[in-house]
Amino acid sequence: MAIRNESLKTNLTGYAFISPFIIGFLAFTLIPMFISLYLSFTSYNLFTSPRWIGLGNFEKMFTNDPKYWNSVRVTIYYVFVGVPLRLAFALFVAMVLNTASRMVGTYRTIYYLPSIIGGSVAVSIMWRNIFSEQGIVNHFLMAFGAAPVNWFGNATAALGMLITLSVWQFGSSMLIFLAGLKNISPEMYEAASVDGASPVRKFMNITLPLLSPVILFNLIMQTISAFMTFVPAYVISKGEGGPLDGTMLYSLYLFRQAFMFNNMGYAAAMAWVMLIFIGILTFVLFKTSKMWVFYESEGGR
Amino acid sequence: MRKKTALVLMVTILLFITACGNSGGGGSNASGGTDGKTLRIAWWGSDTRHEYTQKIIDMYKEQNPGVNIDIEYASFDDYWKKLAPQAAANQLPDIMQMDVSYISQYAKNGQLEDLTPYLGSKIKVDDVTENVLKTGVIGGVQYGMPTGVNVLGFQYDPAILKKAGISEIPDNWTWDQYKEIALKAKDKGIYFDSSMAADIFFNYFLRTKGQSLYNAEGTALGYEDDALFTEFFGMLAELIKEGAVPSQEKLNQTKGILEESDIVKGTGIGIWQWSNQFVALQRVVNRPMELAPMVGPDMEKGIYMQPSMYWAVAKSSQSKDEAAKFIDFWINNQDANKLIKGERGVPISAAVKEAVAPELSETEKQVFDFVAKMEPISSPMSPPPPVGSAEIIAALTDYVEQINFGQATAAEVAPKFRADANAILSNNQP
Repeated sequence: MAIRNESLKTNLTGYAFISPFIIGFLAFTLIPMFISLYLSFTSYNLFTSPRWIGLGNFEKMFTNDPKYWNSVRVTIYYVFVGVPLRLAFALFVAMVLNTASRMVGTYRTIYYLPSIIGGSVAVSIMWRNIFSEQGIVNHFLMAFGAAPVNWFGNATAALGMLITLSVWQFGSSMLIFLAGLKNISPEMYEAASVDGASPVRKFMNITLPLLSPVILFNLIMQTISAFMTFVPAYVISKGEGGPLDGTMLYSLYLFRQAFMFNNMGYAAAMAWVMLIFIGILTFVLFKTSKMWVFYESEGGR
Repeated sequence: MRKKTALVLMVTILLFITACGNSGGGGSNASGGTDGKTLRIAWWGSDTRHEYTQKIIDMYKEQNPGVNIDIEYASFDDYWKKLAPQAAANQLPDIMQMDVSYISQYAKNGQLEDLTPYLGSKIKVDDVTENVLKTGVIGGVQYGMPTGVNVLGFQYDPAILKKAGISEIPDNWTWDQYKEIALKAKDKGIYFDSSMAADIFFNYFLRTKGQSLYNAEGTALGYEDDALFTEFFGMLAELIKEGAVPSQEKLNQTKGILEESDIVKGTGIGIWQWSNQFVALQRVVNRPMELAPMVGPDMEKGIYMQPSMYWAVAKSSQSKDEAAKFIDFWINNQDANKLIKGERGVPISAAVKEAVAPELSETEKQVFDFVAKMEPISSPMSPPPPVGSAEIIAALTDYVEQINFGQATAAEVAPKFRADANAILSNNQP
């Protein structure tokens, strides 16, 4: 009995210590998630109580809302063009910074900076200025005799600009690549050099395979976060996703439905579809990774 | 055993959370109501507005000892995101600043108090004209008290107008004259305007034809004939195509950046917008500017006194009398209005307008004079936009963008917009 009391006491202390997390998790994550799942089957405008409409929201989304499909198309384009570019760029910079030169610490800091301030409103506003009618980009174009571009007036250009912004924020994936590169033992390259391998060959046959677990990690993390991109599109298009809905990313359209049109039920349904879609995509990435990710510890299956 | 302990603990925590929620709600209710002397007031706006509003609240507290006022303010977007959950929780502030595009929603959902019983007793309205007072009426009930009024017009730089070879804006000008003048300016390489905000000016155009954008009940569009849509937006697109108005690409590029607009750079003559926006525009343009009335025919039927915003009282408020008294102070106190100076629209009380006049800057005076000239000839406002209008305006703006980009014609879009708008409106019927 005494022992049991003792262990209860120990446990209670433990639970008391983790209770902030448990309470926070329940109150701010788990319960809201279930409420949002419930709301996704209702029509709810915040003022009147939610009205159960079954699959109505999903039906509208898939069959009767061209703007929804437009936002899906824009987002997929944004993710499938932006993420590979960003990873390629991050890997490139990581390899440059992996060389031993003086000042390399400073360079790393400088290249990482955009990612620290990356998602912020201030950067988006700065970006808007850079690409404005008389911004630095257009001045640059004109200096080379090219015509200035209406970056916010043309749907393709506007999306391209958003993708550029996302590529520019390559810092966090670069750091992870850098760590991965440091883990590849120099002997491999030395051995390859002795055998007379070209730099391209070294990259293809040593760097890429040994780095593939890190690439997988970066790919998944960046894909998930790219799907949820919101701030730049919101700030740069002034919340409207224009021109011609060219920058209407999924999360921006969701936000507009929820907080501008007060269609909370519809927005909740959109959020769940996104969650499920990202879940499936991540699963598929993991499955395909078996074919291209190389784990040294498993003897290179 | 261990599992049991964990379970008990979880249940306790859950109970604890719910208990917290309850007591929290009860607590703030008590502080809001029992003595009837604490008011909560909320508004949106710029820093200038926050500053002078605070001063006026201090002034009110000084003159009414024992009254305590809690303030809440935010930017326009954040304001509505904060207010909606408060409405859902039945905890709205006693006094709220309301916008024309939101007031229907709050009124229709039973969140706002009918102010009619307070008119004449707690809130003095002798100096307010009927047309202005009526703008706060929704479905026959006075839900809002306008803080001030605006009117549509053309705000332009007369020097650039001359440069474009046009001596002046003609009196009682018509759409044909407007097109003619605009094309004349184009020949001199000067843009006449920067197009018109789709929802506001289409509504104006419809009103001159005796129609409106929404019907009185807010259940459908207020016009039957899609040819009106085609005529109006076809004309705007034509002017863009002709080059009298910047292309949609360029309009998008400069949207919301006053500094890059043509009028500021001296390559455009003017802007169509509400009279209260004149002061800010003038400050950026920094050359003498003027206001001209809207285009006709039947301009008098089209224009109306638009409440720049309302004060409204929450139905759930425990201190409605006190709230009404504060609104009266806002509308009728001359010292208070000398601080406001029409920043929330031209004051609605004639006596206050007169008292404030000597305090105004030259530009502010132009606005007051313009509104004074338009007020007697204006017609009653159409009912405030119905619930769902934000979504309808977004749809309209998108369609008009398509027309202006040349991706569709106005005639193709008109029935699509009608279908969309009616679907959104029927979605929002209780």
